[in-house]
Amino acid sequence: MYEALSALGSVVLDPYLLFLIFATTIIGIVIGVLPGLGATTGAALLLPFTLTMDPVHAIAVLATIYVSATFAGSITAILINTPGTSAAAATTFDGFPLAQRGEAGRALGIAVIASTFGGIVSVIVLCFAAPLLARVAYEFRPPEYFALTIFGLSMLASISAGGAVKNLIGGVFGVWLSTIGAERVTAIERFMFGNYELYEGLSFVPVMIGLFAMSELLVQSKMANQAVEYIKMKAVQLPSREDYKKIWKTVLRSSGIGTFIGILPAEGATVASMIGYSEAKRWSKNKEEFGKGSIEGIAGAESANNAATGGAMVPTMVLGIPGSGTTAIILVGLMVHGLRPGPYLFNEQVTAVYQIFGSMFVANVMFLLMGLYAAKVFARISLVPAAILWPIVFALSVIGAYALNSSMLDIWIVLIFGVIGFLARRFGFAVAPIAVGLILGKMVEVNLQNSLKIFSGEWWQIFTQPLAVFFLVLAFLGLCGPQLFRLATRGSFEAKDGKSD
Amino acid sequence: MIKQQIVPIVLTIVSVVIIYLALQLDLSPPMIVGDSMQPRAFPIFLMALNLLLTAILAYQIFKTPPKKPEPMNRVTWLSMVLMVLFYGLTVSTDMFIAIAVVMFLLSLAWGERRLLIAAANAVLTPFLIFLLFDNVLRIRFPRGILMNWYYG
Repeated sequence: MYEALSALGSVVLDPYLLFLIFATTIIGIVIGVLPGLGATTGAALLLPFTLTMDPVHAIAVLATIYVSATFAGSITAILINTPGTSAAAATTFDGFPLAQRGEAGRALGIAVIASTFGGIVSVIVLCFAAPLLARVAYEFRPPEYFALTIFGLSMLASISAGGAVKNLIGGVFGVWLSTIGAERVTAIERFMFGNYELYEGLSFVPVMIGLFAMSELLVQSKMANQAVEYIKMKAVQLPSREDYKKIWKTVLRSSGIGTFIGILPAEGATVASMIGYSEAKRWSKNKEEFGKGSIEGIAGAESANNAATGGAMVPTMVLGIPGSGTTAIILVGLMVHGLRPGPYLFNEQVTAVYQIFGSMFVANVMFLLMGLYAAKVFARISLVPAAILWPIVFALSVIGAYALNSSMLDIWIVLIFGVIGFLARRFGFAVAPIAVGLILGKMVEVNLQNSLKIFSGEWWQIFTQPLAVFFLVLAFLGLCGPQLFRLATRGSFEAKDGKSD
Repeated sequence: MIKQQIVPIVLTIVSVVIIYLALQLDLSPPMIVGDSMQPRAFPIFLMALNLLLTAILAYQIFKTPPKKPEPMNRVTWLSMVLMVLFYGLTVSTDMFIAIAVVMFLLSLAWGERRLLIAAANAVLTPFLIFLLFDNVLRIRFPRGILMNWYYG
C-alpha cells in the first residue's frame, strides 16, 4: 500500500508527467468533441507519438486520452445532439433536450461532475482490485490462461455493435491474423507470401490505425456535407444543491455499474452508459422526465461511461485481456514499450503500474477543470469542417504507421485494413472483435501448445483443471446462455399455455 | 437470394482459401513438434470454426433478411480511389508529395470549396508532422524526390 501511495504521489511531483497529462487531456477532449474521432481512434493515432517516451509516460498519455475523450463525447452529445464518442450516445437522450430548453450549461455541469466522480471511483477500485486479481492470476498456468483467453474471446459475442455471430466471426478472423508470420516453435512460415517483413507477424499498430482511424474516415465520408444544429450556451454551470440531492444516488449506482461492466472482458463504456442510463430511469422517482431533459439521465450515463474506463484497465493490465477497443490499443502500447501485461507486471513493475493508475486519477481531475472552464471553447472545435479534419487524420495515420518500424509495408497495412474495416462495418460487423482477436490470438495458440506439452498431447486433460473448467463454463454460458434461457422459458410458457388450454 | 447471402459466400470462400493455403504449409518433424500441434493445425481449426459460424450467419440471414446497405456514395468511392493514388504517388515520387496531393484532393472531394484553405492544410499539416517526427522522434522517412533533397 505504501508503494502504491508513494507511486501515486510521484505523479504529482513529476512536472514533465503533469505537463504531458495536461496536454493530453486537451488533445483527448478535442478528439472527443470531434464527431467520429473517439478515444479508440485518438489512442491509435497518438500511439506512434509515444515511441520515444518513457514507458510510464507513454501509457499515461494513452490512458489520459482514454478518460478525457470518453468524457468529452458528452459535450457534443449535449450541444449538437451528436455523441462525440459512442459511449456518449445515452447522454444525448436527456442532454440535448435539456440544452434545447436553454439549460446547456447546467447539462454540461452535471455531465462533468458525474464523469469525474465515476472516473475517480473506478481508479480507486482499479488500485485495490488489480493487485488482488494479479495475486490470483499469478497462479495461472497455460491451461488456465488458455481457458481465460477463450472466455475473453467468447465475451466478444456481446460487444455492443454487430450481432453475436458476426462479432465471433470477427474475433476468429482476428485470431487467424495473429497466425501470420513464422510459427513460434517450428519457425515454419505461415501466410507470409514471401514477404520477410511479416516474419515476426503483423504489427499491431498499423492494423489498429487501419481498423479504427482509416475505416472511420471512409465511414465519415458519407456524412461529408451534413449540417448540424448547434446550441449556444453562456457558461458551464455547477450543479446546485437540489441537483446534487437529486443525482447523488444515481451517480453512486452508475459508478459501481460502470466499473463492474468495464472489468468484464470485451465490455466497454458504451454498454456501461446504456445500462447506467436505464438503471437511473428504473430507480428514478421522476421517470416521466426521462427523454425530456432529466439530469438523472445525464448523470447515470456519464458516471457509468467514465467509470468503465478504470474498470476496463483491470483485465487489460492484470490478465493482458483488453476490455474494449481503446484498452486493446493501450495493451499494444504496453507491449511496444516493453511492459509485459499480466500478473508479473504487478511484481516486476509495481511502481510503474501505480504511476499509470495515478496518472488516470490526475487526468480525471484535469478534465474536471477543463470541462468546467473551457467546455465552451472545446465545443466550438466540433464545428471544424470534416473536409479539413479528415485529411489531417489521413496524414497522421500514414505517417504514424510508418514511424513505428520505418516500414512502407505498415502504410499498406493501414490502407488495406482501413478498407477491410470499412467493408466489415458496412455489412454490420464491428471492428473491435478483429482487434481483440489479433491481440489474444498469440496467447490462445501459445497457451494451447504449452498445455498440450504439459499433458503429453492429451488435450482433454485441460478439462481436469478446475479453474480452466470454470472459465470454459463461463465462456459456454456467455455464448449459449441466452439461447438456453430462451429455450427453457419458451418451454415453460408452452407448458403454461397447455395448462390454460 | 444470392445477393442477400453475399457476406456468407465471401466468408466461405475466404475460409476455404485459407484452409487450402494452410494445407500447403510444411509439416514439421515429430521430434520438433513433440506433443504439441503442427503449425497448420491451428489456422485450419480456426477456419473450420469460421465455416460453422458462417453457416449460422447464413441461416440467420435466411430467416430474417437484413436491411440492404445503402449504395456507397461518390465521396466514399473517391476517398478509396485516392488511397490507391497515394500508393502510386508514394512509389513513383515521394511519400510527403503523395500525402499533400491526397490531402488536397480529399478536401475537395469532401466538399471544401476554398482552394487556398485546402492547399494550406495539405502543405502545412504534413510539414508540421514531418518536423515533429524528424526532429523530436528522429524518424527517417523513405527516400523520394523531397527526402533525397532534404537528406542529401
